Amino acid sequence: MNEFLEHGLNQNRRKFLSKLSLGIGGLALGSLMVPGLFDASSEEELFTNVLPHFAPKAKRIIYLFQNGAPSQLDLFDYKPLLQKMQGAELPASIRMGQRLTGMTANQAKFPLAGSKFNFAQYGSNGAWFSETLPHMASIADDFCMVKTMYTEAINHDPALTFFQTGSQVGNRPSMGSWISYGLGSENKNLPAFCVLLSKGKGNGQGVYSKLWNNGFLDSIHQGVQFSSGEEPVKYLTDPEFIKRGDKRVMLDEIAELNQESYKKIGDPEIVTKIQQYELAYRMQMAVPEITSLQNEPESIVKMYGPECLIPGTYAANCLLARKLSENGVRFVQLYHQGWDTHGNLPKELEGQCKDVDQSSAALIKDLKQRGLLDETLVIWGGEFGRTNYCQGALTKDNYGRDHHPKCFTILMAGGGVKPGVYGETDDFGYNINSLPVHIHDFQATVMHLMGIDHERFTFKHQGRRYRLTDVSGKVINEIIS
Amino acid sequence: MHIHKLNKWGESLLWLLNPLLIVLAFFNDVTKFSNTIQWLGKLHPLFLHFPIVLGIAIVVYLLFFQEKKLDPSTEKLLFTGNALLASLVALFGLFLSKQDAYDTHLLTIHKWGGVAIAVFGWSFIYIHSSSLQFKRVLGLVYLIVLLIFTHKGAQLTHGEDVLSFPKPKPVKVAENNNADSTLTVYEKAIAPIFEQKCIGCHGPEKIKGNLQLTSPELIIKGGKAGNLLNSLNNKEALLLQRIHLPNADEEHMPPDGKIQLTLEELNLLNRWVKAGGDFKKKIKEMAKTDSLALLAIAYKAPKKGEDNSKGNAPDLKEYNSSYCTVNYSYYGSDEIFVDFFQGSFYKTASLKKLEAIKAKIASLNMQGMPLTKEDIAIISGFPNLRKLNLNYTKLNLNDLTPLKSLVKLKNISICGIDLNPISLSSFMDKAPFTEVHIWNNKTNEKEYAGLVANNKKTKIIIGDNLDDQILKINSPVIEQDSGIIVNHLDISLKHSMKGAVIRYTTDGTEPDSINSPIYTKKFQLTKYSTLKIKAFKPGWLASDIIQKTFYKSEIHPDSIYFLTPPDKKYPGNNGARTLIDYELGEQNFSNGKWIAYRDTTMKFVINFKQATTLHQAHFNAFVDNGAYIFPILSIKIEGSNDGKSFKYLNEATFPSLEKTDMVRENKSFSCAFPDKAAYKYYRFTLLNLKKLPKWHPGKGTHAWIFIDELFLD
Repeated sequence: MNEFLEHGLNQNRRKFLSKLSLGIGGLALGSLMVPGLFDASSEEELFTNVLPHFAPKAKRIIYLFQNGAPSQLDLFDYKPLLQKMQGAELPASIRMGQRLTGMTANQAKFPLAGSKFNFAQYGSNGAWFSETLPHMASIADDFCMVKTMYTEAINHDPALTFFQTGSQVGNRPSMGSWISYGLGSENKNLPAFCVLLSKGKGNGQGVYSKLWNNGFLDSIHQGVQFSSGEEPVKYLTDPEFIKRGDKRVMLDEIAELNQESYKKIGDPEIVTKIQQYELAYRMQMAVPEITSLQNEPESIVKMYGPECLIPGTYAANCLLARKLSENGVRFVQLYHQGWDTHGNLPKELEGQCKDVDQSSAALIKDLKQRGLLDETLVIWGGEFGRTNYCQGALTKDNYGRDHHPKCFTILMAGGGVKPGVYGETDDFGYNINSLPVHIHDFQATVMHLMGIDHERFTFKHQGRRYRLTDVSGKVINEIIS
Repeated sequence: MHIHKLNKWGESLLWLLNPLLIVLAFFNDVTKFSNTIQWLGKLHPLFLHFPIVLGIAIVVYLLFFQEKKLDPSTEKLLFTGNALLASLVALFGLFLSKQDAYDTHLLTIHKWGGVAIAVFGWSFIYIHSSSLQFKRVLGLVYLIVLLIFTHKGAQLTHGEDVLSFPKPKPVKVAENNNADSTLTVYEKAIAPIFEQKCIGCHGPEKIKGNLQLTSPELIIKGGKAGNLLNSLNNKEALLLQRIHLPNADEEHMPPDGKIQLTLEELNLLNRWVKAGGDFKKKIKEMAKTDSLALLAIAYKAPKKGEDNSKGNAPDLKEYNSSYCTVNYSYYGSDEIFVDFFQGSFYKTASLKKLEAIKAKIASLNMQGMPLTKEDIAIISGFPNLRKLNLNYTKLNLNDLTPLKSLVKLKNISICGIDLNPISLSSFMDKAPFTEVHIWNNKTNEKEYAGLVANNKKTKIIIGDNLDDQILKINSPVIEQDSGIIVNHLDISLKHSMKGAVIRYTTDGTEPDSINSPIYTKKFQLTKYSTLKIKAFKPGWLASDIIQKTFYKSEIHPDSIYFLTPPDKKYPGNNGARTLIDYELGEQNFSNGKWIAYRDTTMKFVINFKQATTLHQAHFNAFVDNGAYIFPILSIKIEGSNDGKSFKYLNEATFPSLEKTDMVRENKSFSCAFPDKAAYKYYRFTLLNLKKLPKWHPGKGTHAWIFIDELFLD
């Protein structure tokens, strides 16, 4: 339905109708004869009926966001030249006037820093992994490693926001919200978009709810943040004296009242409220069953690492992500903080890798052994890369790296991506040699894997049609199996 | 009924009908009509000629017979009757427009034309007092409007060339569905497709885009948009372009909402056009293995009006519930994916219900459902199932035997189902599967190595089983937030893993697996102690030690004051008293419970009204080298009775951090009072690191110290 018209009908239906004189009373008759003439639009319903646009490769996504930006040069993008030129100045011909952050812009020197870690090639595609990620390296053949991601932002907040919403500015819906809006929930007893947070010991950067915001979409599509405590969803248990039957009656009555005021005022958020109460009611049954980690067999605990039984750890979130995903949550988003290694990188990076390596690999192996990896897309990566030159003093075994937007690596597995290594950076690990992948390209590709044409998947808001990929983005067909 | 009364009724009805007509015409795009109302649309062709005839009669009357005036009420009856009929016909037309996809451009013109005619006709009722001349002009205009817009209607149904001279009647192709190979490919498969899916709009009844698909000649001739079958400039032939456009595209054929082509039909048309679009080639003249011939032989045209392309999405609504999701794999797809959730609500009935759509179900997820043999029997009747998830369904491998009859079932997951290499081997014997997921917490790779090697056809995915791998168990947890003992403090310990044993010490020694007490129930601490705990479990290495210091403040000074002011950002909520308020600041150093020094050295005095002997002072501090917060370097104590001249009592020094340390913790720093003498005043000097070491990012600058509490005994 035309948005302007819909707005008019929604907001002023009562006023509009009450102003009508008898002559135009035919109108009232019209709405009697034509049920639905003045109903709130079911555009969304119509819309979801045409999605997915084509056969999806993946039904669900688990996004393991490494918040703070892990150093691609110390994990995946092996550059022996940097080790050879250790301490030498970054050539101006390589930097080409690239904008730097306030943290290193005033640095007098930009000494190149080779990785302190040993690298080796793994799997049939010869993907490089450093010694810090032994578990992930052991399943190298499951990964599609994109080495040539690049972004436009150079600081955490805009870069994260860009990754999640397709715009640096904020107020747009997050990827998970778009997916929730387009494809809906598989399991009607759980939110379609769940968010799990954890924190490593490394230098941390904040995560905040705007990253999983619904933007201009209906608020039912907002990411539901699970608490990192013992009870992942708070206040789900009823007080002792309330029976489930009573609760049902109560909700029905409240819904009736809400319907009444919706008819009067026409605010679509009222309908959302009713839906949210219903979802919460059903979650009361579903969530305890799904989030209980107690019944996981010991071999699974060993696979994810014993930390996975401690709520709020990355390992526990990985295990929880598998359980939510296999129970039909479309989009599970993890954030692990602590990758912002401006200084003391070797030590901090090792700690971060220890936090995530085993359980990230375990999640992929676990999905695979259950026959779910082919329909679940797992993404592993940060918001940008890190510089090839040292921030602060460079010593033999200590260095730091600043933010670097011009190239970085992310990994994907399952869900219809083709394992292998995509793209190549230059020998300095500073610029992209071939096959660049912009954030919007990445988003377009992820949408494509879910069966969505990113150019046709739009939402009209304040007179403009918006999409996740804004006005650009192309699907990288080469990484789709 | 008296003629006046009739006129009055008619006039009122017009006041109702015409506004309704206008409103509906405006909102035409967004209205939906119920079936009954849509049926009324059928009356449009039945009635439409009345207002045309009446309208022309009125025009003739106005032009030529006005002088031989009818009596006013008869005249009004004529006008009212015409207006009523015109309004009704226009309304019916609106309803009809919803039933079929018409050329939208023509339709819009015709719609507004119809509304204009109705309103125009209505206006005649109110012109009786105007001049003759005016009425004649009005009549003439009405005639023109009437002719133009009703003609548009004729074009809608009879094609745009409705008024051109008749063309030779196309030869109708014999309907023939049997596999008689003497037929041409065109006769056997192509013509029936056009017949069923296209000629509704591209046939003798409606000739949209000036295209008819009823005979080879007309097909070759093409339509307004050009030749259908020839590819030009490396582009696909027009016919193929149109049928392959996305459904939402306006040029997609058949239009969105009409019965769509099936994949088979798309394939047939594609191959036929690419093979040259031959109308004469007989099937028997083609090679037996020719895909086009095979497709043509296999093709069965649907019955008239039957939608063989897809079920409409709303059809699946009745199968969906809170615990079962049933969807097409994508919009326009023929395949259905089914997912069941929450085993405790599972009912066989909801699976049984799916039998109505069983031929379309391609993927079925029943993970965690409490299934029985009965359920498996139902699933065994889903002939096109390709992927089946039966993880944790509490079934026996034997129960699953009926599934082997599903020849299209390629991918099956049976994780958590009890099996062994022998039972699995017999289950896989003559089974159609190409991928079987068998992981459970007992399977192990070695046992199945032989089976995996012998099964080239089927991939057996065993997964990882680390049961016999020995790892370090995670650390236990101390469940007591407070670190201060008033009289006594309850301590509980917890470990997240079943069967783990926690041992603990309170004397500063490390817990071991033999002598240290095992934690069974909560216990009490009554004095300053450092609790160390460690977890043990058979099959695991012992955990790291977790430790926490519990303070007991036995002596409380009467007053306390700073000699040097703390850093402005961290002055403490209660000034110097923050140090003796029995509140620990935990790990959040900006919550006001901490006092911090950086550029000045921390100096403060405590005072007792009565001279008091002290034994020990414990400072609880925070250390976080990432935040430039380092350990206290030294604590110096001096005593005095007048508050002016102080005597040196003792000094304790502590090591700083090494560069390999990554610390973020609360730490206790203690200093003893060696002599037994009692003083009224004690002065404390706490030294912080004045120059951060070279390895630290802030090298050369001052380090912070953070203190939240002082305990004395």
